[in-house]
Amino acid sequence: MADTYDGQNACAEDNMDTSMISIRHLCKQYPNVTPLRDINLEIKKGEVISIIGPSGTGKSTLLRCINLLETPTKGEIVVDGVITTDKKCKVNLVRQKMGMVFQSFNLFAHKSVIENIMMGQVDLLGRSRQEAYDRGMELLRTIGLADKALAYPDELSGGQKQRAAIARTLAMEPEIILFDEPTSALDPTMTGEVLSVIRRLAGQGMTMMIVTHEMKFAREVSTRILYMDQGEIYEDGTPEQIFEHPRRERTRIFIRQLKVLHAEKISRNFDFPAFMTRLEEFGRRQQMAQRRIYAMQLAVEEVLMMKLLPAAAKEGARDISLDVEYSERENLSQMRFSYSGPAIDLFDDDEDLSGRIIKGISKEMEHTFADGINHFLINI
Amino acid sequence: MKITKNQNGNSLCLALEGRLDTNTAPELENTIKGAIEGVEELTIDMADLDYLSSAGLRVLLGAQKIMNKQGSMRVIHVNDTIMEIFEVTGFADILTIEKA
Repeated sequence: MADTYDGQNACAEDNMDTSMISIRHLCKQYPNVTPLRDINLEIKKGEVISIIGPSGTGKSTLLRCINLLETPTKGEIVVDGVITTDKKCKVNLVRQKMGMVFQSFNLFAHKSVIENIMMGQVDLLGRSRQEAYDRGMELLRTIGLADKALAYPDELSGGQKQRAAIARTLAMEPEIILFDEPTSALDPTMTGEVLSVIRRLAGQGMTMMIVTHEMKFAREVSTRILYMDQGEIYEDGTPEQIFEHPRRERTRIFIRQLKVLHAEKISRNFDFPAFMTRLEEFGRRQQMAQRRIYAMQLAVEEVLMMKLLPAAAKEGARDISLDVEYSERENLSQMRFSYSGPAIDLFDDDEDLSGRIIKGISKEMEHTFADGINHFLINI
Repeated sequence: MKITKNQNGNSLCLALEGRLDTNTAPELENTIKGAIEGVEELTIDMADLDYLSSAGLRVLLGAQKIMNKQGSMRVIHVNDTIMEIFEVTGFADILTIEKA
């Protein structure tokens, strides 16, 4: 019979907190890449956390470190008061609290579905084969796969394989399930059946961490969203905060699926013709109408060449930068100019030719001045 | 920008091709200054002009002011995009414009 988790306390922390999992200064380095830089995270019971972000930003590595499938380079992971990163920690016992569902299912091909589900229960939980079978069938019935109990994984569709893998994980009675891109290997037609199983688990109060690219699903099912970027948790918030009001720049770009063109340290030596060409190429890549590209170029020329650069020349060197953002979903181009220097308003003079052009081509204009920096926003 | 000059007696036609912007507007300004003496009919042909900004508008305004004294000026073959710029800046009311 397998040891029970309660039986081991070799590395239990003295001061247990209310978190199910605490992660402190977690870092994972490989010789040429650092997928996790400094992760600090508290996961509470019942939370459904979706981890989103661009590819290659450490999302899966974080899950694999939590489950100790990867050994962290630095930092500490505490699961229910047990420091799992301690060398003395009995990892298998801690792992029993955590189920993991993989992108590629990881079912044993030479065993039937029910045998896949029974194995861990018998070997690690010490259940009898009958108990394991009964629990396995019960789970297969809840996910609509009872009639596939004796089938082999190769006889199942991708969606069925992933549902069977979830049933196998549930059979181990985990307290938290880690999902590593559970639908990434599936056809779109099969994604829904897997997501509905995960959705049902969320409704039942199961604690889950889900690495996913399914934004709509993440928004609907999660209690909390972690946006990861460049090996760190860049922003952490409720689905509404992250999807509706992201506070930080890269989150906003990711969530709104923005295409961005950036220019900084713009000075009087600014290569205006080259930037116009870049802007045109940027617009063409996004398949913008020529009229929109023209309007964007006009905004750049009128604001930079006619307003900000002459102002900077008069007042000495000033920092000028420009971000051009395009959201295909909202059919909106946004030009964001920043100018550090005294407050100047580009939009207040109706008699000014450049001002009239900017007003004429834009849907919206906004000027704010804070901390010595002017921000001009022009929506086209 | 390419400027093609066609002078016939006291008529001058300048055909513009490409972009009339901050970088190229001085070139048009110099061309007009160098050729406008004695001209009574100035025509700016925009059939092949792709882009016009305020820098170009200022040159056109300067030319119009000169021609108000010595004759007339027309801007011809103006496409819809450039026409929009003339309209939002009020230049449609100042210049004599013929659309493409």
